[in-house]
Amino acid sequence: MSDIRSFFGPKGGAAPKPAAKPAPKKAEEDTSKRRGKARKVVDEDSDDEVAPDEKVVKGTETTASEYFASSKSKPKPAAKAEAKPVPEVKTEVRASPRNKKPAVKEAPAPAKKTRGATFKRYDMDDEEDAFMDDDDGEGGDDIFAADAKSRNKRKNDDYVEEESEEEFLPKSKRLASRTKREADDEDDKPIVTKSTKAATTSKKRKTPEAESDEEDDEPASKKKPAPKKPRAPRAKKEAEPEDSSIQAILDDIPTVRAPSPPPQDPNVKFDWRKGQAGSGPPPNPTDDLPEGEEDCLTGLNFVFTGQLTGIAREEAQELVKRYGGKVTGQPSSKTSYVVLGADAGPSKLAKIKANNIKTIDENGLFELIRRLPAGGGTGKGAEKVREKRQKEEEKVKQQAAEMEREEKARKLEAEKARKLAAARGVTGPAPAAAPPSAQLWTSKYAPTQPQHICGNKAAVEKIQKWLRDWAKSRKYDFQKRGADGLGGYRAVILSGPPGIGKTTAAHLAAKLEGFDVLEQNASDTRSKKLVESGVSEVMNNTSLSGYFAGDGKKVDKQKKNIVLVMDEVDGMSAGDRGGVGALAKFCKKTEVPMILICNERRLPKMKPFDFVALDIPFRRPTIEQIRSRMMTVSHREGLKLTPQVLDALIEGSNRDIRQIINMMSTIKLDQTSMDFDQSKDMSKAWEKSVILKPWDICQKMLGGGLFSPASKATLNDKIQLYFNDHEFSYLMIQENYLRAKPAALGGGHKREQDLKALELMDKAAESISDGDLVDRMIHGPQQHWSLMPTHAVFSTVRPASFVAGSLMGSTFTSWLGNNSKYGKLGRYTREIHSHMRLRSSGDANEVRQQYLPVLWTQLVNRLQVEGKEAADEVIDLMDSYFLTREDFDSIKELGVGPQDEKDVNIDTQAKSAFTRLYNSRSHPVPFMKASSVAEPKKVAKEVPDLEEAIEEEDEGDAAEPAEANDDDGDITKDKYIKQPKAKPKRAPKKAAKAAKDDEDDDEDVKPAKGKGRAKAGASRSKAKK
Amino acid sequence: MALIVDKHRPRSLDQLTYHDELSDRLRSLAQSGDFPHLLVYGPSGAGKKTRIVATLKELYGPGVEKIKIDARVFQTSSSRKLEFNIVTSVYHLEITPSDVGNYDRVVVQDLLKEVAQTQQVDQSARQKFKVVVINEADHLTRDAQAALRRTMEKYSPNLRLILLANSTANIIAPIRSRTLLVRVAAPSIQDITTALADSAKKEGWPAAAGLHKRIALESGRNLRRALLMYEAVHAQNEKITDDTPIPPPDWEALIGQIAKEIMEEHSPNRILQVRAKLYDLLTHCIPPTTILKTLTFKLIALIDDDLKYDVIKWSAFYEHRVRTGTKVIFHLEAFVAKFMRIFEMYLMQMDM
Repeated sequence: MSDIRSFFGPKGGAAPKPAAKPAPKKAEEDTSKRRGKARKVVDEDSDDEVAPDEKVVKGTETTASEYFASSKSKPKPAAKAEAKPVPEVKTEVRASPRNKKPAVKEAPAPAKKTRGATFKRYDMDDEEDAFMDDDDGEGGDDIFAADAKSRNKRKNDDYVEEESEEEFLPKSKRLASRTKREADDEDDKPIVTKSTKAATTSKKRKTPEAESDEEDDEPASKKKPAPKKPRAPRAKKEAEPEDSSIQAILDDIPTVRAPSPPPQDPNVKFDWRKGQAGSGPPPNPTDDLPEGEEDCLTGLNFVFTGQLTGIAREEAQELVKRYGGKVTGQPSSKTSYVVLGADAGPSKLAKIKANNIKTIDENGLFELIRRLPAGGGTGKGAEKVREKRQKEEEKVKQQAAEMEREEKARKLEAEKARKLAAARGVTGPAPAAAPPSAQLWTSKYAPTQPQHICGNKAAVEKIQKWLRDWAKSRKYDFQKRGADGLGGYRAVILSGPPGIGKTTAAHLAAKLEGFDVLEQNASDTRSKKLVESGVSEVMNNTSLSGYFAGDGKKVDKQKKNIVLVMDEVDGMSAGDRGGVGALAKFCKKTEVPMILICNERRLPKMKPFDFVALDIPFRRPTIEQIRSRMMTVSHREGLKLTPQVLDALIEGSNRDIRQIINMMSTIKLDQTSMDFDQSKDMSKAWEKSVILKPWDICQKMLGGGLFSPASKATLNDKIQLYFNDHEFSYLMIQENYLRAKPAALGGGHKREQDLKALELMDKAAESISDGDLVDRMIHGPQQHWSLMPTHAVFSTVRPASFVAGSLMGSTFTSWLGNNSKYGKLGRYTREIHSHMRLRSSGDANEVRQQYLPVLWTQLVNRLQVEGKEAADEVIDLMDSYFLTREDFDSIKELGVGPQDEKDVNIDTQAKSAFTRLYNSRSHPVPFMKASSVAEPKKVAKEVPDLEEAIEEEDEGDAAEPAEANDDDGDITKDKYIKQPKAKPKRAPKKAAKAAKDDEDDDEDVKPAKGKGRAKAGASRSKAKK
Repeated sequence: MALIVDKHRPRSLDQLTYHDELSDRLRSLAQSGDFPHLLVYGPSGAGKKTRIVATLKELYGPGVEKIKIDARVFQTSSSRKLEFNIVTSVYHLEITPSDVGNYDRVVVQDLLKEVAQTQQVDQSARQKFKVVVINEADHLTRDAQAALRRTMEKYSPNLRLILLANSTANIIAPIRSRTLLVRVAAPSIQDITTALADSAKKEGWPAAAGLHKRIALESGRNLRRALLMYEAVHAQNEKITDDTPIPPPDWEALIGQIAKEIMEEHSPNRILQVRAKLYDLLTHCIPPTTILKTLTFKLIALIDDDLKYDVIKWSAFYEHRVRTGTKVIFHLEAFVAKFMRIFEMYLMQMDM
């Protein structure tokens, strides 16, 4: 504090104590402000503030005179310096609006402190520097004056005050001390440099692993000469391979040492899942993204590896792309920089070492962006890129011109035709071709030559060749396949995602080969009948173009060929019943070439086309392939789109050419150029809405960075994720939340972590449990469907918020399977219960919990242990409870734990003996089925088929059940309880029954037997299954 | 050759071995000629059904024992067909409306009306009314219970209801007020040992008083369970002594295993393993509340006293949720997670 006072004391005379605070605070505000909207601010403020403008212009002039000869880029930093003061002005204005003038004056002070780029300028001319510093002194005064005035007003502004006090106090001390020295000998150059240098480091303070300040201060003097040297012989150096001023900057970027790749252990596989974390959220995100000159990274190649500390990898990559840099996946000798993060992949590290590539961390990257001049300066990579771009531009212009020519020719022809028609005296206005302006861009710029097609050149050529040889192949009846295998097919099928020019390619190929196109698409009904009749009609036709021609055109004798283009084959829907089959059949005998087009070749629906049509898959063209064509179009339309913007559009639309053209035509409506952010926004707005699958939802929720502090996803976005599949998403979360490794675990002792994990899991589980209560309100009797978002939060978003991190493999929800199993086993239990009802008193649960364990030991276990000797007694016991053979299997299946079905091992001999014995006896049936209509029929239908299969294995009683079935049909209505012979006690009851319907009495016993058999037969067949 | 639990079931009020007072009252009710609607409640395995069957026999004579199962088809308002089993004799019907879940109202309305509107045909019958026994009355939905209310009064000349329930908690007050409440308490340990000894004598098994006592304790005063356990002991062992181990039912063994696993390790991974076992139990028709209850008591036995309050609290909390929710596994799992958390926290504190 004391040195600050001594510095500011004599000059300002304002209260010295608070001095420390405002300065850094402003610096901070300044930086943050500028980052936000520096440029716009410049425009606004430079209008009404003349003073700083003049001053800066002055500074630039002197610089420029010296500089312009060698490098165009140099003035730019100066302009930058101009940009700097202004935001400061703005802050000050906000703080004390009455106090504009002094605020303006003090501006340069913070500018110097924050921007690394500025120091160059200071070096360049001392005069200017001195001027600035002078100003600085005054400015210092004014800061405090202003501050003192505005103090009262700011009192309430706790946020700013506190922050600056806590965080920046130490720094401000240092800064102030430096500034003091500066004030002492204002014209002393090295110190000025030093101070700015220090400021540069101070800016980096936020990122954790920046080199310590002390370290940085020392090399400052060493580094200083670097930018100086090139200045003297600048004029000559132009021809050198790498402009040394650029080189200087590049050299100046702090590199980090790449950790040597770990020794290759063939046994240990690199855990890609862990490596994947690199694409995850950064642990401590900064929103301190650097702002640089336009295209400043041009010509530089970057590779990212490992987890960056302050910025998500995607963001960093986007940043590089925004400034014209290139991002590649793997390091190679061409890579300029590898941006290294934590946990870098070992293979990449090895390559870095092999190729001796420079490695930087993210701070280095930011530094590059801040300091490199626009357009990549005169760097050699940048030159090359520029050259290339120029060539490209030329090509674009050329193509545009060509396009224009073509159009003109077309117009001329049309004109001629019209005139001709008029001369012949055709009445009525000739159907003028639609003016180009009325055409959709997609058709206006549809390719007319094969080289216009973006990508898939080979595919187009293949179609062309196939069409050319079609007639020849037909002569050989498609038996001769030819060298390329194209001769064996009467039809081809093109497949690929939408918007990449399949239809266009088909049409173009047909046109080039002189075929007339007959197209059918999803707008036509294509049922089996129509395909058969319609298409076979086509077969016998020839093109009219061979005989007639429009006015003014010559009849082309050769043009008698037709090609049938069947578009959108996978769009054949329920309305087109049998259409696909008919079409596939037709492919085998067609007398005209057929081109089928579809999006998804792999669908089961498209199976019939296997082997009957030649598969020609279309792939998405690469960005480069699309870009040049799009640039032609944009040039032709007078749109100014930089390659970066186009790239963003192309990427955003997932390389869908049609969509890009449509986007461009939309842009054309209201603007003539577009910047990077706008293009990003636009492609986001045009994004095709994709319905995520349950897996992806789960992965995104639990594994993605949706809940990281850096994530920009809102609650609504997360809820939206649930609604992608509201029936499965929460089940998937429930299934997999325990498999996630929460990011919220943090560090610490292993045991503490474990406890933390349990705590998070518990919270998640509780939230899921809450969600189920909501679910009940939705799907229960209350039907509160408006609670769906609530359910989304409780069942999906909230649990995920606790455990989100990295997901270690996910499985599909097991609830569904278990639920249906529960249904099945529940049915078994109720069946057993209903059979046992006459004998036992408990409800179904009691039967399951108390009876079944005992019955299991008495039935299943006895058969397992004692074998077939026990069969007789087992059957007796079953009969006493009216249990059937199916019930025996059910009991076996219903066991859990020690009685698990998997552990039951009844040997086949005992089992078949048991089955045989069971079938040979008659069994009591406790009741008859009321739904006698459906049930017996089913049995009668099924049993005979199955019996045959069983006959060979078991003894030949197949005939008997069949017989029994016949009986069954007659007497189903008369079936009541049958008592086993062994039960004298029940006899009176039967008599009672018999009294009721005495006429059936005689039949009564026999059918029971039959039924028993039939049932046994059925059960046996089931068991065999 | 049925199991002893059914073979030795008392068939008349005279044969009942315990709750003699209750038997006397039932007998006098049956003989009074004005038999009221009954609501018989008590834990399972206490002998409710046995007493009712005995009472019915007292009412109508041996004719009630001639029973059969009738399957009837009912049609819901949404024209869905329901198949429903009724146990009938000439004098009474026995239904379990909870078999058809939410459609029990249809069954209750249709069936009771049908029964009530037909008079007893058999002139020799001792009573003018028919009796309808409704099992699991506490599982009747509100709608079905409401449908019962008026029917009970309106058709009382032709119809008497006997409702069977585990507790009266779920039965609406109007019904409770229209019925005579009969509580059948669980048999005492002494009652059970006596019953076991009787059965042993009838079967000719050697008496093992110590074993009987142990079974009685183990059974949780559920006579059915005690008898079945006794049967199981005999089925699995040749020689029965007082120390013969009592095999637990399969599901209880599994829950014991789960409890052990929970105690052994506290980690998300272990919760996953436990989940699989819980699913196993649930799919095999063990009711979630039974699982939760058994699991809690198995865990309680293994932890320190300080923790027990908390564990019981959360167990009750999640039992409530099991009943109010739909996907029970969520709540069971939440309980397991909760237990592991508080237990681990407790251990940490102990270490520090």
